[in-house]
Amino acid sequence: MASTAATAVVTRARPASVRKKKRHGGFKPWLFALPALAVYLAFLVYPAFSSLFFSLTDWDGLSPAYNIVGLDNYTAMVDDPVVVRAAINNMIWTVVTIVVPVVLGLALAVTLNGKVRGKPVLRMLFYTPGVLPLVAVASIWGWLYNPDYGAVNEFLRAVGLGGLAQSWLGQNSTALAAVMVPAIWLRTGFPMLLYLAALQGIPHDQYEAATMDGATRSQQFWHITMPNLRPAHYIVLALSLIDSFKVFDLIYATTYGGPGSATQVMGTWMYFNVFQYYQAGYGTAIAVVITVVAIAVSIPYVLSQTKEHDS
Amino acid sequence: MSTLGSAAVPQPAAALPDAVVAARDPLPRRPKGKGGITATVVLAVAAVLWISPLVLLLITSFRPLADFIASGPLTWPKEFTWANFADAWSVGNFATTYRNSAILLLLKVPIGVLLSAMLAYALSKLRIRFRRTIMFTVFLGLTIPIYITIVPVFIMLRSMGITDNLLGLVGPYLAFGIPFEVLVLQSFFRQLPDELIEAAKIDGAGEWRIFFTLILPLSLPALVTVAILDAVSTWNEFLFALIVLNSDQSKTIPVGLLNFQGQFANNNTGLAAGILIAVVPILLAYVVLQRWIVGGLTAGATKG
Repeated sequence: MASTAATAVVTRARPASVRKKKRHGGFKPWLFALPALAVYLAFLVYPAFSSLFFSLTDWDGLSPAYNIVGLDNYTAMVDDPVVVRAAINNMIWTVVTIVVPVVLGLALAVTLNGKVRGKPVLRMLFYTPGVLPLVAVASIWGWLYNPDYGAVNEFLRAVGLGGLAQSWLGQNSTALAAVMVPAIWLRTGFPMLLYLAALQGIPHDQYEAATMDGATRSQQFWHITMPNLRPAHYIVLALSLIDSFKVFDLIYATTYGGPGSATQVMGTWMYFNVFQYYQAGYGTAIAVVITVVAIAVSIPYVLSQTKEHDS
Repeated sequence: MSTLGSAAVPQPAAALPDAVVAARDPLPRRPKGKGGITATVVLAVAAVLWISPLVLLLITSFRPLADFIASGPLTWPKEFTWANFADAWSVGNFATTYRNSAILLLLKVPIGVLLSAMLAYALSKLRIRFRRTIMFTVFLGLTIPIYITIVPVFIMLRSMGITDNLLGLVGPYLAFGIPFEVLVLQSFFRQLPDELIEAAKIDGAGEWRIFFTLILPLSLPALVTVAILDAVSTWNEFLFALIVLNSDQSKTIPVGLLNFQGQFANNNTGLAAGILIAVVPILLAYVVLQRWIVGGLTAGATKG
């Protein structure tokens, strides 16, 4: 008791220097921290490690008994053509649904940041798809892609390109691209918002000085805008990358991974193994692999967030 | 994001305790001077094209199916009707799925924000031990795909007897909401001056009283922002709901919509009406709360 009081007095007297030392506040902070930590550990951390264990078994997900099979599930993945397909699709998905929305979002932000009327409304319209439930986005595009009555084919026929009308989601050659279009549609708004906010923070006199020096528009973009946007690039890319590994809803609700396995990704293939083929052990092994990759590529971002808040 | 839906976002840039973090929208309301007609027109056309799927959906939902089939999707309707909405509402079981989604939202969001705020307070102001370890562990949750946890969580819920029950979703939803909420809130709390807390302590206030009567009221803008973004992702969540909820009685809007989509595959106008029924609340909320949502999503980028 006495020592606590003394600490408190010292803290009050010289807050800055004392705080730098490793003094911690005893058990009190834990009363605030524990409820959230308990939920987090029980429903996220523990299940994640639990999955690690299940991935080493041949459990079917239903029966009480299972055997430990070591790394068999992981070696089986190498021979599973669908896993190979899914991994490739995940990579294509990651590249396309990051690059296209980021470039489009940047272009929109730069244009919106110029002399434009009705900015708030325009910005709102471009971000609108981003707030929709992914299942609704899937329904909307499934409806647009409908081979007979869909607006996409109808539009092609109307402009004389009826020969191009096809079953976009129903054939191997176009299904993946057709699913990525709605992904781009809903993901372009977020980089636009971030870049727009970052652009507002660039001091205007930098552009004025450049204009006086006779710099062209494109020189200004590459030598003033882009360097100033570096922190925004980092955040946009990190968050887009994290997001792209989580892909499930959109593909499940548009194509169920089909036709065949043309649009299968790790998330959907994991789901089908667990809930339709009763291979919970194998399914969790797939989930473990993609999670490990997701964490590995995101650790720099997580560390930067931890450090930034620790000064 | 992620799905905000899923969009997970770094710290707000507020520098002062009374700075309105969310409503601080950097976009100037008025264009500087005149001009910009070309850019405005180009952007307006692009924006109309961008939301044309939704416009088409809206028009289609008000036309009779026969008219749609006879004239095609890209024509102006010959007549308008409300019948599609009536059909979709009853067949799609929307009365139930709306109720379920609303219950889940009201249950999950306040608890999630409160628990996250408590943890954020401990991390930012209470000098908790292992602070960095806790922060790293919690922030790592931002990167973990939800599907790594579904098998163990499903087993857990089964042993607790709450599968096919909205209550079963609360725990997982809380756990996956906490990382983002803590990230935003702790960095907001950090901006509150320590002197305020010290002064309250001198006046004899305990930690809980300080938290509830000082910290939370001062942080209202950040709390509202976090609550809104959390509400959007809760309303939109699909995977856990798909796995946990089986009967029509317990389904939420995204799962119900998927069901409905299958049933109405050949009724294009009814399908359009059903999709609209499912998304209208979130669209209205977005239009009304736009400044908060944009402010919350962009909080990280403005810091530079």
